[in-house]
Amino acid sequence: MSAVVAEFRRNRLSLSYVIVVALLILLVVAGGFLSDRFLTWRNFGNLFQQLVVLGMVSLGQTFVVLLGGIDLAVGSLVSASTVFIAHFLEWRPDLLWLALPLALIAATAIGALNGLLTIVLRVHPLIVTLGMSSIIFGGTLMYNKEPGGSVPRGLADFSYAKLWGIPVTAIVLVAIFALAGLWLQRSRSGRSIYFVGGDREAARLNGLPVNRIVVMAYALSGLCAGLAAIFLTARTGVGDPRIGAALTLQSITPVVVGGTVLAGGRGGVLGTLLGVLLVTMLNNLLNFLNVSSYYQWVIQGLIIIIAVSIHTTKRRQ
Amino acid sequence: MVTPVIELSRIEKEYPGVKPLDRVDFAVRPGEIHALLGENGAGKSTLIRVMGGAIKPNGGSMTYLGKPVSWQSPKQARAAGIHVIHQELALFPELSVAENILVDAQPRNGLGLISSRARHARAAEILAQLGVRISTHAKIDELPLADQQMVEIAKALVGEVRLLVLDEPTAVISGHEVDLLFDNMRRLKREGVGIVYVSHRLEEIFEIADRVTILKDGQVAGTGPVGDLTRDEMITKMVGRRLEQIYPARRKAPAVGPDILKVSNLRSGHRVRDVSFAVRPGEVVGIAGMVGSGRTEVAEVIFGTRDLDGGTIEFDGKRLDRRMPREAIRNGVGFLTENRKDEGLFLGLPISANVMAPDLAGVTKRGLIDRRGERDIALEQIRNFAVAAPSPEVKVGNLSGGNQQKVLFGRWSRIARKLLILDEPTRGVDIGAKVEIYRIVRNLAEQGVGILMISSELPEIIGLSDRIFVMSQGHVAGEIDGASATEEAIMDLAVRSIDRREGTAARLEQVA
Repeated sequence: MSAVVAEFRRNRLSLSYVIVVALLILLVVAGGFLSDRFLTWRNFGNLFQQLVVLGMVSLGQTFVVLLGGIDLAVGSLVSASTVFIAHFLEWRPDLLWLALPLALIAATAIGALNGLLTIVLRVHPLIVTLGMSSIIFGGTLMYNKEPGGSVPRGLADFSYAKLWGIPVTAIVLVAIFALAGLWLQRSRSGRSIYFVGGDREAARLNGLPVNRIVVMAYALSGLCAGLAAIFLTARTGVGDPRIGAALTLQSITPVVVGGTVLAGGRGGVLGTLLGVLLVTMLNNLLNFLNVSSYYQWVIQGLIIIIAVSIHTTKRRQ
Repeated sequence: MVTPVIELSRIEKEYPGVKPLDRVDFAVRPGEIHALLGENGAGKSTLIRVMGGAIKPNGGSMTYLGKPVSWQSPKQARAAGIHVIHQELALFPELSVAENILVDAQPRNGLGLISSRARHARAAEILAQLGVRISTHAKIDELPLADQQMVEIAKALVGEVRLLVLDEPTAVISGHEVDLLFDNMRRLKREGVGIVYVSHRLEEIFEIADRVTILKDGQVAGTGPVGDLTRDEMITKMVGRRLEQIYPARRKAPAVGPDILKVSNLRSGHRVRDVSFAVRPGEVVGIAGMVGSGRTEVAEVIFGTRDLDGGTIEFDGKRLDRRMPREAIRNGVGFLTENRKDEGLFLGLPISANVMAPDLAGVTKRGLIDRRGERDIALEQIRNFAVAAPSPEVKVGNLSGGNQQKVLFGRWSRIARKLLILDEPTRGVDIGAKVEIYRIVRNLAEQGVGILMISSELPEIIGLSDRIFVMSQGHVAGEIDGASATEEAIMDLAVRSIDRREGTAARLEQVA
């Protein structure tokens, strides 16, 4: 937690955060006026529960974008992981302790493979991960076309558990973000992501193990997708080969809205967390106002373009 | 009196703080090969770009074929018959020879579509005129550099050409390729084309040029028929300035000790052909030579960012197992690259991160980066190197060129316990920062660090170096003692071409 605070303090003048925080406040105030159900303790509990999956995937995406790359395979990876978890647990509900680490290891390995391919084949990450996404999606469908499987009681309970009225999953998410912030700012490997993202050639010249760092960032993105899948399976109780499809593009929105630059080297996880909060809260409010999901998509599209254009204008000054 | 093809009169060009061209008069007659000489930065490129319409002068006038002109764009100059062939060729590597030659004039058939057959026929015709045998179907990047250059010249012949400007065309070719180029230049000359020829190789000037104009600090230092000037007079005019009192005195002689760096018979690509030298602790070794002589490439090979094709590199008497920057850094070697913006600094990150980038381990305690330790080191380096910045948190991209360079010194001086390689350490920094950088270099040397300094600025090389190696065409053309070095002596070695046909054989006799 202290790392997140430290990061925030260091960037307290950064307009990126000011914009997102201002938008959040605006949203809360507007929501309070527009709907009497919005500003309630209960709604915020739901909201935090909702943002856990997107938050996790976006965190992974942040590492890769900081590196100057992009991971378009996260959605398929989340879907595949839910299918794996739910079917494994249907087969052996007693092996929860084995199923979850296995899922995480597999997701991390696929992420690492993405990173490795961008280096070995020298193909743009957009292409590598797009191809990988298609392969994972197809592979999952070969195995299972419809939602299926089940999860043991304990895992489902975890998804709805609350501590002092706050969903435990949300607490876990914030803890993971704090850890990620600490790691990015204070560890050699985390800091190296900024170096490689800022200028790959300079990083090499400074003796940094560039290839290792690239593979690590993609592996972390895979790990985060695996964690997201655990949260998701716990909540829905099934493995669904299509459930993550929309997550790929959705995961990029909070990252760039939070001020992380697509070119790499600038940004951080706090911005992403705020971005996730903003996007989720907006959709939540629009739901209350009975705005159709079509408009929600349009509004989300506008937000991404406007927020990023504000960031770039500010940077150019 | 023949009307000159082009005549420039009192041309001036000024940027804030610099004046690359100062009242320059320059004229080329039809059927004349006019050599343009000068040190790096003397204004040759600017002058070429003014003639070719890429730069608009701030003052003076220009006549072309007897009429006053003022080019609005390179396209306008080209349409009028002026072709400039730059050192970096302007070809499309993925397209065919024919497509490149006729890039501006694709022949069309009756339907208004580009006719492939007509294109190849026309391209072949032009290449035949030049006397070269290159397939019009070949892709550019499949061709050797000399052929690519011929394609570039062929482009000039598509339309009417009255003035051909060649910017150091022989920097990348050798032997019979040079002969072929010269044959073609002579042929164009007989057809009445005026040719401007830029080269650092004085031998070539005497072989091919009719007249010569020498630029020095943006002004014409001399002009006349080639026969009227001796080689030494040309060099003196190119150099022509006194050593300024800005170099710190050597307070003590370099310690006598074993070599900190020893390279033997280094080879890499076509730029580094045979280089041997050594650096001792506490010694500043200068590497002089023209741009393209292989200086930077030697530094890159030593640091491990460029492949080594042959020869050996020893740090402190031992060869490294793996050639990569990380190994060099581990062994106490630092490298300030020529291009600090592209290769050295992380512009979006603060000074502290930039200083510590190669040595994160040095501030890591129990697995975490010690923020205070990092800040303290950065502050110390900011003070040591007098970086004008309010705090270590300032992003390096917001600093001036001189201060960015000092941040790099702050970084590498911590790493370079043994050897610091500097490539053009004062390029683009103002005179005040230069003086400070000279002082830093001298201090580091006196602390026992071996310094290998590459520079195009001869006064800088002479003022700082204990020993100077002059490079020419990928070879060490000679070694000069720093105390007795003169700009003339260095230029003499730098412009001496290694005999084109004999290769290395002629080298020894030059050194002697």
